[in-house]
Amino acid sequence: MSDAKFVVIDGNELSFEPGETILEAARRAEIEIPTLCYDDRLTPAGACRICLVEVDGAPLMQPACATRATAEMVVRTNTQRVDRNRKFILSLHLADTIQDREIAEDNNPSRVHELAETYGTAGEWTSVVSPRQGRPQDTNRFIEFRADRCIACSLCTRYCNEVEAVSAITLAYRGAHTTIATADDQSLTDTTCELCGGCVDVCPTGAMTEKQALEWGKPERELEKVRSTCNFCGVGCQVDLNVDREANRVVKVTSPPPGTTVNDGNLCVKGRFANDFIHHPDRLTEPLVRDNGELRPATWDEALDRVATGLAGVKERHGNDALAFISSSRCTKEENYLMQKLARAAFQTHNVHQCAAT
Amino acid sequence: MLPKKARREEVFEQLESAGGLQPGNVGKVHRETGVPAADIFGVATFYSLLAEPDAGVRVCTGLTCKLAGADRLLADLETEGTPATSYSCLGRCDMAPASWDPEGDPATTEPAFSPSHPDFAIDLLAAETDTYSALRLVHDKGAEWALDEVEASGLTGRGGAGFPAHIKWRAVRGQEVTERYIVLNADEGEPGTFKDREVILRRPHLVIEGLAIAARCLEAQDIYAYVRGEFGQVKASLMAALDEARARGELDDDVRWHFVDGHGAYICGEETALLEALEGKRGMPRMKPPYPVEVGFRGKPTLIQNVESIACIPAILERGGEWFKQAGRTEPGSKLYCLSGHVERPGVYEAPMGITLRELLEQAGGVTGTIKAFSPGGASSGFLPADQIDLPMDFKSLREAGSMLGSAGVVVLNDTTDMVEAALTQAVFFEDESCGQCSPCRIGTQIVRQALERYRGGDGDALAFIREVAWGMREASICGLGQAASLPLTSAMKYFPQEFGDDNE
Repeated sequence: MSDAKFVVIDGNELSFEPGETILEAARRAEIEIPTLCYDDRLTPAGACRICLVEVDGAPLMQPACATRATAEMVVRTNTQRVDRNRKFILSLHLADTIQDREIAEDNNPSRVHELAETYGTAGEWTSVVSPRQGRPQDTNRFIEFRADRCIACSLCTRYCNEVEAVSAITLAYRGAHTTIATADDQSLTDTTCELCGGCVDVCPTGAMTEKQALEWGKPERELEKVRSTCNFCGVGCQVDLNVDREANRVVKVTSPPPGTTVNDGNLCVKGRFANDFIHHPDRLTEPLVRDNGELRPATWDEALDRVATGLAGVKERHGNDALAFISSSRCTKEENYLMQKLARAAFQTHNVHQCAAT
Repeated sequence: MLPKKARREEVFEQLESAGGLQPGNVGKVHRETGVPAADIFGVATFYSLLAEPDAGVRVCTGLTCKLAGADRLLADLETEGTPATSYSCLGRCDMAPASWDPEGDPATTEPAFSPSHPDFAIDLLAAETDTYSALRLVHDKGAEWALDEVEASGLTGRGGAGFPAHIKWRAVRGQEVTERYIVLNADEGEPGTFKDREVILRRPHLVIEGLAIAARCLEAQDIYAYVRGEFGQVKASLMAALDEARARGELDDDVRWHFVDGHGAYICGEETALLEALEGKRGMPRMKPPYPVEVGFRGKPTLIQNVESIACIPAILERGGEWFKQAGRTEPGSKLYCLSGHVERPGVYEAPMGITLRELLEQAGGVTGTIKAFSPGGASSGFLPADQIDLPMDFKSLREAGSMLGSAGVVVLNDTTDMVEAALTQAVFFEDESCGQCSPCRIGTQIVRQALERYRGGDGDALAFIREVAWGMREASICGLGQAASLPLTSAMKYFPQEFGDDNE
């Protein structure tokens, strides 16, 4: 092997790290190679075949996502053959799923349609009557699998297995029947599934989709993404609230793309799905105080005075350690700091705890 | 309590003994093995014999059996109330139309054979000599000597790829990793092919000896024989031969032998899919490189060799590589050709590599009717017209003719054959047997089959875009199945354009 550690892609000499793939080397140099079944957090499947490129010396085109760059390898991504294959793959997937973009993107965006717009297709082929089965009997509240949109790229099963280590879903059956299934087609809630929704997030076609957002009926492209911090625990995961501005409503929560925030594209069941409290009629939106057993709205000043008087009274009657302070895991670090400050400085007690501390 | 470490390789055995995919079995096997339940379901639904344990009598609907009236057989069984289902291929093309009841007696086979000949490396009718003298020669002369002989013989892989055997042997032997495996590919599944079945039934000691030689030369500690599940008695034949050889003290004691059943998936004849199956997974071919000689079973260097190739080894070492090379006409060695379809005496005929179909047909008693077309190497080789029967039946000549020798499962079609129907039968086969991993094959095989059905139904434009689909399947599929799956249709369109309307030629 030569000392020169570069791969030639479309005439550009690019350096690469040992073990790096053609795709990784190309992306660093901003040479675009389309992918459907690739996610850099997962073992490449090489299944969608849209990233095939020509490699000098190889009779067949090679998957850029899975082919390691080697010294002096000559790769071509802009040939007629490569382009013809991209169009072929896109026509295939469109024939196998839903050709009409409006229908396909009723909830989530479709990467297949996006790529078809960029790269074109080999024409609209007669739709395939696919025997892929869904799981209509699944009673979980959050995730729906729509087999008519599935391209069997296995991103969801690999994510479930490799990132979450949950292995609740699998590629099942064979050939044309290949689909995404749980063991014995059970509901997700009867499996090891933790309802993290990562399968929805990695799905390039909206085959895995959010039930609640689907019911709301507005596609993601018509929603505005508002970046926020999940406050269910102290990790600080970044979330994108998908807001329907007309209705002033959070329709769903998605994770920012992998590699951009601390949570690297991941969320848990709470962060992704436990958001119905936002618009819940029982949600408290102003301070309430109780008079003669009845709650009534009050100002913050009045409410805080009531709390202070009550706490000071307990301290006076029963001593400092009759009080205990427990804060929520949904508080920020600063808020928790203030809580213990309140306990120790104002009431001279060490009875302070936080529900996420065990 | 679950086992601490998942025992994935046990999944098949456990599923099989539990009775396949039936309520409760996935959970049961999950508790026994510690493998995630979803993974077990994924495996159980992949393999026909596990997925449909109650399918009743399986009726083969491969091309040869179709020609011989498989549809009628299915209808008859239905009429008499016997539960029956169609099955991609049973590997009994000599008994067409073949059927198999997994619960019943093991099917017997009675193909015709070529008469014994001194220049045959395998010679199916020879009295089994089982001398193990070649293995003793390796003990005396060493592995390098054996490898030189294998190289001199020019032996190429008889499973269909035609890859030079010595390159694989040397590649495994040259690995730094010392944990190495020998895998016998006895998952013979190419429609039209039933030679490996007969080799194991009639000459099992050649296979055992060949494997023992490979293990010794490559310093492998374990030998795995992966035997097609539809071939019940075949595995038993191999195991009996091993017991005999062991009892006579012919074999090295430090080699461990394992026999594994296939469970009904054509794709597992593809070597990396076979490795996945051995590891207890869905039989989806791996991407290559790396090749199994480097990263194979359990990620270790592995030699995977077809039954016929392995069975040639003893003769090569006893009689010399040069002898084997000279035994072929256009390429090295004698070769087993399976003849079925419209021939008078379907069977396994050993002949010099490069014999023509015309000569083979003479041995097989001629064509039933007038020959119209033939598949030289199973479904994957597509069709050639009758006027090519003087082509040498070897790897190179057939490749140049746009076809392939493959596993040399020759299916002969007479002039009563409707080529649209024949192409459709092959399309159905590939659609059923695609593993579903890569999109060109998974979707392409559906498009091809559905377009052919529409064309047959009178839609003259149904095949309009099929050439582009065929191009992509050939160019972009991960493995040979998808790359070859459109060939039956495109070759039929090429050689019999009148049957596909002039527009499509």
